[in-house]
Amino acid sequence: MRIRSSSFSTRAFDAFILLVMLGVLFTCLVPFIYMVALSLSSPKAIINNQVSFWPVGFNIEAYKQIFSYPNFFQAYRNTIFYTVAGTAIALVLTVMFAYPLSKPMLRGHGFITKLVIFSMFFSGGLIPNYLLISSLHLTQKVWAMLIPFAINQFNLIILINFFKSMPAELEEAAIIDGLDYAGILVRIIVPLSTAALATIALYTAVFFWNDWFNGLIYLKSKQFPVMLFLRNIVTGTSMVGDAAGAGDKTSIAISIKSAVIITSTLPIIVLYPFLQRYFVKGVLVGSIKG
Amino acid sequence: MKKVILVCLLALLTAFGSTLVAQGVQESAKGPLKFSMYYSDNATLPFKSDWLTVTEVQKRLNVDVEFEIIPIADYQTKVSLALNTGTNAPDVILYQSTKGENAALALNGAIVPISDYAAWTPHFNAMVKKFGLEDNVNLLRLKDGKRYYMPSLFDVPFYDGGLILREDLLLKYGLSAPKTFDDLYNVLKVFKEKNPGSYPLTILAGPRVLYRMTMPSWGISLGKNGASGTNTLSWDYTAKNFFAGAISDQYKQYVTFFAKLYKEGLLDPEMAEPIDGDRWAQKLATGKSMATYAYYDQIGGVTRTSTIPGFKLQMYPSLAGPAGAHHQPKSKTGAGILFPAATAKRKDFEQIVRAVDEMFFSEENSLMWCLGVEGITYTKQGDKVVFANDILNAPEGIYKSMQIKYGCGSDVTQMIWVNAREMTKYDANYAAINAAVEAIGDVIQAIPPTPMFDDKQAEQAGSLQTPLADAFERWNTAFLTGTKSIDKDWSAYVQEMKNLGIEKFVKIYNDNLQ
Amino acid sequence: MNTSPARSRFRQYWQLYAMMVIPLIYFILFKYVPMFGNVLAFRRYRPGMGPFGTEWVGLQYFKRFAQDPAFWRAFRNTLTLSLMNLVVNFPIPIIFAILLNELRNLRFKKIVQTVSYMPRFISTVVVIAILGELLSPSSGIINLFLKRFFDMEPIYFMNDEKYFRWIYVFVDTWQYTGWTAIIYLAAITGISSDLYEAATIDGASRIQQVFYITIPSIMPTIMVMLILNIGRLLSLGFEKVLLMYTPSNSAVSDIIDTLVYRTGLANQNYSYATAIGLFSGIIGVVLVSSSNALSKKLTGDGIY
Repeated sequence: MRIRSSSFSTRAFDAFILLVMLGVLFTCLVPFIYMVALSLSSPKAIINNQVSFWPVGFNIEAYKQIFSYPNFFQAYRNTIFYTVAGTAIALVLTVMFAYPLSKPMLRGHGFITKLVIFSMFFSGGLIPNYLLISSLHLTQKVWAMLIPFAINQFNLIILINFFKSMPAELEEAAIIDGLDYAGILVRIIVPLSTAALATIALYTAVFFWNDWFNGLIYLKSKQFPVMLFLRNIVTGTSMVGDAAGAGDKTSIAISIKSAVIITSTLPIIVLYPFLQRYFVKGVLVGSIKG
Repeated sequence: MKKVILVCLLALLTAFGSTLVAQGVQESAKGPLKFSMYYSDNATLPFKSDWLTVTEVQKRLNVDVEFEIIPIADYQTKVSLALNTGTNAPDVILYQSTKGENAALALNGAIVPISDYAAWTPHFNAMVKKFGLEDNVNLLRLKDGKRYYMPSLFDVPFYDGGLILREDLLLKYGLSAPKTFDDLYNVLKVFKEKNPGSYPLTILAGPRVLYRMTMPSWGISLGKNGASGTNTLSWDYTAKNFFAGAISDQYKQYVTFFAKLYKEGLLDPEMAEPIDGDRWAQKLATGKSMATYAYYDQIGGVTRTSTIPGFKLQMYPSLAGPAGAHHQPKSKTGAGILFPAATAKRKDFEQIVRAVDEMFFSEENSLMWCLGVEGITYTKQGDKVVFANDILNAPEGIYKSMQIKYGCGSDVTQMIWVNAREMTKYDANYAAINAAVEAIGDVIQAIPPTPMFDDKQAEQAGSLQTPLADAFERWNTAFLTGTKSIDKDWSAYVQEMKNLGIEKFVKIYNDNLQ
Repeated sequence: MNTSPARSRFRQYWQLYAMMVIPLIYFILFKYVPMFGNVLAFRRYRPGMGPFGTEWVGLQYFKRFAQDPAFWRAFRNTLTLSLMNLVVNFPIPIIFAILLNELRNLRFKKIVQTVSYMPRFISTVVVIAILGELLSPSSGIINLFLKRFFDMEPIYFMNDEKYFRWIYVFVDTWQYTGWTAIIYLAAITGISSDLYEAATIDGASRIQQVFYITIPSIMPTIMVMLILNIGRLLSLGFEKVLLMYTPSNSAVSDIIDTLVYRTGLANQNYSYATAIGLFSGIIGVVLVSSSNALSKKLTGDGIY
């Protein structure tokens, strides 16, 4: 830990940061508080513009209505499963790919990295992807949700970069101690990259949590993730270019939309503070060298 | 350490392996006829597999239908993928027509030409005959002379939305109900004078609802929800051909009228999409606006939330414009049922078609999709339908509560719509408005025919359509809001539309009429 | 043990190669096999007649967009909006992460960290709806404020092409700052505390430490992110732009994705969309490889 000095400039710096952070806190929190208030208010109060940061005409009708959606809990369970299993698979595969690719001395490493980057810019389009999954007999199975997105190129490159930045002496020492590369990866690299891995895990988990499109196209309705239903409540028919305009007839109350957002985001938001313990400073290199 | 890798490898391999053990669709040899069906699900009335209608119809026909419930916003994506790839397609798809991409899919063999199997659809045929819709149904044929879906059928189209005004204010200011657009202008003018801070006429969901409900009174139908689906063309009901509605004098008059409303502060300037349904309701409920174009169903919700004493919204029949009093054109055939090509390969294809035909189009089953089951949802007193108490007393009204509780009256599963029968589900006021509209005559015109394009013509028409639609939208907003002058800039606008090929666009459409 | 260098290299590294086998197979199968679908850019797609189209049409679809002034306008709009977004929203998460790291109260730091990433989870539809409410000319708080203190006429922000780009960029700042900062926070976590201790002993102030330790230490991460972001210049938040698109601001808000979307609505044209996708992909590759080369030259680091 750094020694505290309390010169004027340091205190001014602290005050400046504090001010900025309070601003961030305010702008990011206010819409959420507003939405919580909306989700718990009566439609009458909302329409008459009485709701600001505290529920008016308190009721939980909006939540009741969402929970009464058929298969809501089944879909919620599906999503949790996809998130947990998808993240686990993704982490294993990404680490297995990133570690060798972080070794410049490995023959072919440059070519494969280029291959990875190249694939970020060209997708085959919806139908070829669908036919691939279908010909692998993955459609209508949960694997269709987990496998095709196991390696995200962006996350992979980030992780490669993290591995590259590890001090080479660590590995040299380990090799002298008789460890092979698999051992180094499992015993040294992974434990020392918890912050990077937590970041990747978080990004992946959020991807699986929010993904509705792949569920839609590959799965049966019983396997649908909850986001598919929730998105439909929030987006409703606003994205449907319906000539007869049937979509304009029904609009969903803002209280329900807000309740949907709260229900669908709370679990994934709670994940972050849990992962934060891997972001603790100073455990990394100092502790090894010591 | 090798072990760890090995374990990882093994775990992955088993993961892959287990997926290869296909679960397979169990097809039992005996028992009820089984088939799968796509259902378009609306979040406001979520599908329930234990809905009375759904269980009853399966019991009556001894069928076991596996419903695939797909949210409406993504329904077309799912259907398109199933038909385009032909893999994992369901046996039956509800809520479809052969407009747009489906036409090409049908002509390329992805959809069963159901008109070839007319012998298996006796109930559908009988209903078409009963309603006298033979010609309308024939118009649904594609270029090869075949029809690829069974549409839903309407005897008389509904007047389900239109001009909605504060009736209490009309009375208060001693105004009579408007009959023409000039009347409307005067009414709005008085509203504005008495409430200077207001914008009397507000719009729902961007201006498209307003446009589609009012333009026909000028003899045009343009924009995103234009009746022809072309954005810039309109149908001439006397000459029976398309014309370039977007550069017509009728349109010029139309936009002049609304530009005047805009300029005088009678029309709500907030018209960018998406206008939240809640904000629209807010403006009406709090008295910031007193008129709108919207749907009858929506009146109740706004009224319930308003705190203004005596607040009353009323819907009025279409107003007369230069081309008479007209509402948004509607077809007597609606979205219906199609069969993906793979279904025809099933041995029991005939049974499936016959079952679907009876399920949705027979007298007794179509009645059930509308009213439910006699003795449970309603009883008959002579000829009169009396609804069960739980429906009659539901706060959301008969129609909505029957939808939510029993699955009646969903436009996905109800294929037969008899206007008089539908009216029993609404209050007397709604029936009276519909009667008034029918008395005016020819208010709801038919939808223009769809030309019979082949792939290449469709592509050519499509490539002309988007730039024209973009230019039209841009100019339309500019004319309306006064950033361009209708007098001075009109010829520049017409020239731009001509440069973008609007005349060629009209020609492609007219050359390919049936 | 005296074998050829290649063999000894393999013997030394075989585990590393073995690790790559499954991910590599995965990559070829799931990322490269579907790429054959791109032949559609040169073939006419007919719905229901196979995924690879029915006949060769050469460069017809490329010519179609290349000759379309609307496409080039959309192309310029995409680049302009993206560049603005990059210039504003690339540095902000870095600054935010550094400042957050300088917070001394750990509990407060955790709270800010969590709260700042929450906006990422509000659906874009709702974000735009809230925005519409804030910026509404009749009831929006911004316009009420402008009227009260500056006596200004209400501005219809959402419908005016002057404001579209800035609104887009600031919404992005709000939505993604906390989210993107996580990567930089992870990178900062990796900096050895020895460095800071030594600097403190040398009498460096905290601001000096930021400039001489923190920023140089996370520079490789910054460069990687920058290169990746430059490669993505042609991909913007499609849903957000679509929701903010109005005929009045279309001169600046029509981007490639919205143009393709509208063209597709009128006529399900997979081939045309594929051709444009291929074009954007090529630009992306060119951008990424040139920025990578530049980065290597300047900092010695790149992504490959």
